[in-house]
Parts: sequence; C-alpha cells; structure tokens
Amino acid sequence: MTLPTAFHLRLQSALGFLTAGLLAPLYFLFMKFRGYRIMDLDKIRRQWAGLLKNHRGPWLICGNHLTLIDSIIMIYALVSLGGHIKGFQRLPWNLPERANFQQNLFMVILCYLSKCIPVSRGGDREEMQATLARCNYLLERRQVLMVFPEGRRSRSGRVDTENFSYGVGRFLQGHRDCRVLCVYLRGDAQILYGDMPGRGETFTITMDAFLPAIPAGQGLRAQRDLVGQIVRRLAQMEEYFAQHREKPGTD
Amino acid sequence: MIEILRLYTKDKTHLDRATMTTHILDDLKVNSARLLDVIIKCEDIFGIIIEDDEADKILTIGDAVELIKKKL
Repeated sequence: MTLPTAFHLRLQSALGFLTAGLLAPLYFLFMKFRGYRIMDLDKIRRQWAGLLKNHRGPWLICGNHLTLIDSIIMIYALVSLGGHIKGFQRLPWNLPERANFQQNLFMVILCYLSKCIPVSRGGDREEMQATLARCNYLLERRQVLMVFPEGRRSRSGRVDTENFSYGVGRFLQGHRDCRVLCVYLRGDAQILYGDMPGRGETFTITMDAFLPAIPAGQGLRAQRDLVGQIVRRLAQMEEYFAQHREKPGTD
Repeated sequence: MIEILRLYTKDKTHLDRATMTTHILDDLKVNSARLLDVIIKCEDIFGIIIEDDEADKILTIGDAVELIKKKL
C-alpha cells in the first residue's frame, strides 16, 4: 500500500462523512420511494450493532448476490439513518463492478462518496493487485468490507457453491482476526437474478457471524478452503430460508 | 497442461488450437476462479507450491508451463 493510495482512501472516507448528512437521507428516501420493506428490520440492526460492539473489526460482510442493489439493501438493513450519519466510519466499504455504473458521472460520484472501491471483473492483474492492497489496508484499519463471494449475480437464483471467487479467501488469509458476517437476502418476488427488485418488494434477511476456521493447507488451497466455508454457510442459510420462509410482513 | 485445462474449459475445441501464447482467461474463457483451480491442480500433479504473486502472473499457457518448469 503506497502512501498516496492510503491518503486517497482516507480522503474518500472524509468526503463521504462530510456529505453523509445529505446523501444518507436521500438513500433512505429512495428505499421508501421504491416501497422496499425489510422484515424484522429493527432486530437486524440491533444484531449488527451488537456484533460490532463485541468485535470492533475487521469485518467481512459476505452476501448472496441476486440484484445490482443487494449491497444497498443490505447496508440499509444493517444500519439506521442515524448510524449512517453518526457512525459513518463503521459503514461497510463496497466493491461494486465498475461496468455497472461507470457510464454515469452522477453514479460515479455517488459511489465514491458511499465508500465504494470499483473493481473490474476479469480486469488486468495490476488493477486487481491495487484493489487487494486497498482492501488489505482497510482491514488492517479494522474497517468493515462488504463483498459477494460468488463474484457475480447467481444465474440460477441459488447460492453457487461451485463457481465462487477466491479473492475473499485472500483477505481472510491475511487477516486472521477478521470476522465474517454472512448475510442472506431475498425478496419475496425474487426468483432468479435481476437488475432491480420490483417496487414494493419485501425482503427477508438472515445473518450468521463466525470466525473462519484456519485451513490446514497454504496459499491458494487455503484461500479456496476459506471462501468455501463462507459459500457453504450461505448455501445452508438458503436452505434454512427456503424451509422457514415467513409470509410477508412489515418492517 | 492441456489435459489439466481440459477439466476447466467449457468449449474444449479452443484447446485443439491452443499454443504457448494462448491466453487462459481471454482465449479459453476459463474464469479467474477456475484459473486458480487449474493452478491448484498443477500443484497437486507436479508436487509444487505456487505462491499468490506467481499465480497472479499466469496469463497464458506458456506462463504456466514456464513456471512449472522452473519449480520442478
């Protein structure tokens, strides 16, 4: 991690903090405007606040991936409006796919101020190394990082336990104190993957926090094992969700 | 190497005309997660350890072959 990169991340965080008072209410307004509801919202926020209290960081939030705004919905579900403004430093950093927003300058600025580090799937190795270095720097500073271990939206609509990305394993390998929060999110009307959930969608979220077991192997094999632990957990959560799915309610 | 790649390449016809300069991700359409599976398979078959930095430099079949030769 070079000093300029560290400086840029701190600058990004500072600018995000300064504008959070304006952007966070707009973000919450967007969620209301779309009519999105999260079941047991207060309980989820209390759970996450409790987990953060018990372990300050680093945290890796690993979600299943079905729509382009999964991270937005998950962060909305985890942190209240007040938390977005007062606790900006504890908000997760995101790694969105660059191609999804790069054409729109407004979105580029919005993502920058919302603690996003753009990544290019299948991009060149130097860029990947730079992204890894940024993430490592953030984890060293006990920050919260949100990633999608599947690497892309699941084409089958189910957690893909075969074709996941190993990058997450690399984060964990370098930060043995990093806790993982698996978040399984699903809208009632969500069957397969898509861009945006429909208006008025009600989401159910289940969470499971754990400290990954240290694998016996080394290198890439260990990374595969670590990310495998997360993906299998997400798949188990999906099974549980399918069996215990509740009727839509209110937040 | 071709036989290892055959396990992870969807369209096997690409492998029939593969050369040392064939790009594993772009030409064979092996995704980056599967490329790491290829590298782990190489570790198993050739009894070598490939470090992260070395794995990151493998782009073509030639890169993989050269690295394996160096490690043997």
